[in-house]
Amino acid sequence: MSYKVTEEGEISIVHLDGEIDMDVTEKAKEVIMPLIEAKKEVHLNLKEVQYMDSSGISVLIESHQKATELGTKVILKDISKSVLKVIMMAKLEQILNLG
Amino acid sequence: MNNLAQISEQRDFVVSSSSLKDVRSFSREVFEKVNIEQDLKDELVLAIAEAAQNIVKHAYQGEDTEDKMEIKISLSNGNLEIGFFDKGRPVEKDKIRHRKIDDIKPGGLGTFFIQQIMDAVVFKEGEKPWINHLILSKKIDY
Repeated sequence: MSYKVTEEGEISIVHLDGEIDMDVTEKAKEVIMPLIEAKKEVHLNLKEVQYMDSSGISVLIESHQKATELGTKVILKDISKSVLKVIMMAKLEQILNLG
Repeated sequence: MNNLAQISEQRDFVVSSSSLKDVRSFSREVFEKVNIEQDLKDELVLAIAEAAQNIVKHAYQGEDTEDKMEIKISLSNGNLEIGFFDKGRPVEKDKIRHRKIDDIKPGGLGTFFIQQIMDAVVFKEGEKPWINHLILSKKIDY
């Protein structure tokens, strides 16, 4: 997995790239969580994520819940087909913010 | 592409989260030989990777080890069987369950995915030298 963070005003956009599994979830959290803790609105661009497993889904849930707790939000953008399928399999399409 | 595939392939992997990408590569290589929809191939790869992840997470509790796990993918007459063999802690079958799907919290989804994708999930005691033997099976139309 690789990533790039860009800023647009109060919004932090995290572009994730590659495969997100148990081996990279800590790295993903290290990138995303400080932005949420800084109370930024975070957009996760998932266009280039070709694979995500339950560990990756856990990162999305954790990020969403932390953001809600701190009064901000995480919005999932440009979700790749394969990631959307896993989100739907987990029945989270009504829970997470899909933008 | 094989419309009448009779497949039996196995490979060993070090029990580590860093092996999961190799598990996926192996699974993808095997399913490339079978004439089934890409969506189904992706689901099967996910189920296999989730089961391998459970070995790393639960049978070994994330501990560093040089132990290997073995994954065997067999397809015969439309019956897909995927065997997982490991030497970790014995699986306590009664404790294996996915979280309630409407209880939204991180974790506990891997087993749910496996059960969604596969027709049957069976835990057996492994024959020596293995401790655990997990069998995932699914009827495949191709």
